[in-house]
Amino acid sequence: MLKGIGASEGYGIGKVMLIVEQSLEYTPKEIIDVDAELERYRNAVDVFCDNTMKQADALKESAGEKESEIMMGHIAIIRDPFMGGEIENLIKANQCAEAAVEQVCKMFIDMFSATGDELTMQRAADVKDIRDGLLSILLGVSEVKISDAPPGTVLVVKELTPSMTAGIKKENIVGIITETGSQTSHSAILARALEIPAVLSVTGAVPHFSGGELVIVNGSAGEVITAPSEAQVEEYTARREAFLRERRELENFRGKATADADGSEYELFCNIGTPKDAGKAFEADGEGVGLFRTEFLFMDRNALPTEDEQFEAYKQASLMMRGKPVIIRTLDIGGDKEIPYLGLAKEENPFMGFRAIRYCLKNRDMFKSQIKAILRAAAFGDIRIMFPLITAVEELRQGKELVEEAKADLKASGIEFDENIQVGVMTETAASGVIADLLAEEADFFSIGTNDLTGYTMAADRGNADVGYLYSPLQPSVLRMIRRIIKCGRAKGIPVGMCGEAAADPMMIPLLISFGLTEFSVSAPSVLKVRKNIAKWTKAEADAITEKVMSMTTEAEITAYLKTVV
Amino acid sequence: MVSKKVTLVNAQGFHMRPASVFATAMGKYSSNVTIKHNGNDVNAKSLLNIIAACIKCGSEVEIVCDGPDENEALAEAVGMIESGLGE
Repeated sequence: MLKGIGASEGYGIGKVMLIVEQSLEYTPKEIIDVDAELERYRNAVDVFCDNTMKQADALKESAGEKESEIMMGHIAIIRDPFMGGEIENLIKANQCAEAAVEQVCKMFIDMFSATGDELTMQRAADVKDIRDGLLSILLGVSEVKISDAPPGTVLVVKELTPSMTAGIKKENIVGIITETGSQTSHSAILARALEIPAVLSVTGAVPHFSGGELVIVNGSAGEVITAPSEAQVEEYTARREAFLRERRELENFRGKATADADGSEYELFCNIGTPKDAGKAFEADGEGVGLFRTEFLFMDRNALPTEDEQFEAYKQASLMMRGKPVIIRTLDIGGDKEIPYLGLAKEENPFMGFRAIRYCLKNRDMFKSQIKAILRAAAFGDIRIMFPLITAVEELRQGKELVEEAKADLKASGIEFDENIQVGVMTETAASGVIADLLAEEADFFSIGTNDLTGYTMAADRGNADVGYLYSPLQPSVLRMIRRIIKCGRAKGIPVGMCGEAAADPMMIPLLISFGLTEFSVSAPSVLKVRKNIAKWTKAEADAITEKVMSMTTEAEITAYLKTVV
Repeated sequence: MVSKKVTLVNAQGFHMRPASVFATAMGKYSSNVTIKHNGNDVNAKSLLNIIAACIKCGSEVEIVCDGPDENEALAEAVGMIESGLGE
């Protein structure tokens, strides 16, 4: 078995088609007839644009408008007067067209790669693709025709370029295996858009195959099974059918309200880490953002982000969600998340130390600038503030005081903001669970962060193999904590959400319905699954299961029981 | 020579699509059009140079136009950026 990154879910069984890159080597030579060489170059560009246009049309059919824009971008790049001008200048200086193309492309690839900006660095891949396309035309090397692949083909390739992807016929290609790429690379995005199972970043994939052999691609687990047995083929055929059936069923839940079998409605939000993720949440049919982690704004840089920079990011997330609710969690650093320029001292026990709200309340200027940015962005949509790691009522009070100060500052400067912003608590410590009744008096909402709540309640680090077995939200103690937080919040009439991984767990869902949770916040790919899982329970069924679970004394007993009912 | 300072308002800054639209529009003019950003002079007629400059939302840039149709070029450039580059 070969291991890689599961970049597009599903199972594919088929025969390998090996895409071996053609050699694009050439011997640079000095050009005497410059005009003829210019002509040769310009003809190659015309052929390139012609091919690319066809690929764009094909991609529009198979993967959609947005993906085909990648190909149209290639035309815009090669038609760029500066790029074309530079290439022609080199030819005029007696270089051959191949060398001129290669040099100028290299200049841009280096320039884009050096920016360190993710979006700009992706353009380097586009320029590489263009360079290879132009060189193949100039050298008369025919590109492998992926469009000729017969039904039941698994593509094996070093790197899947957008131009290759354009040749893919969705009905013929059942799987993709590459040596490079990540979850967020073009290949991954395109494979998902085409709904083809893909395993990327499989080291040494190409030399492993000779072409024509049977292989199983497990895009869900990121595994490739070579030389599968008959039993494996049978097993994965069944898995594939079940997967496709489920995908079709889930699609029925797109665009529907999130409701249990009695018709009571819930909010189903997404957890995001960057404004760009908001786009994914919206596409995944998320009804809002239940947790916007703001650490990304502060990480991988040398200085604090400005208020304006933060404002733009928060506003962008809200705009991408088309005004649906966005809950922004204020900075949660410390613990395992380090930010070098803040100069945080090394701590003996960082998870119980100077982190999150504790750090922010001591660094008021930094905290206030984040709060002001959130308040300003809230003028453009339904944005709410959430404080992490609250353990005492004073922390919530001090945070709210700072919100009021920030409002007064903005008012004095005549800057627009949301006067009535909601301020909530992320209940993720044992302390916040125990004083949930007190916090509910002063918070506008609760959101249960089950990952930390489980860790803090059980005093167990899930990453530690010796104690990881204790780490489970189905522990009687954690379930009691969750129940208490929900009951206390609901008793004071405030909404209570959950933004930890447990919110998407099919075993937790009937319990959460019964406890009275009002909002589930999950990762974007889980939205439809959770909606389907909520829809299957009536309140009476959920109550019956919960009553039984809450009468059990061990996690093992609870897990065993829940496995029989969900 | 004429120039004006403007702030980028579209969310993604000068990424592929807006850069392409902008470079194409500027290509119509015979004047030289330069975007001054972070101390760099960027050729506004080149999509690739604009992308390489990594100009993000919220950045202030100065547009400098020099040539026979500099006023028209500047008016269109400023108008495009202020209206969010069609996004």
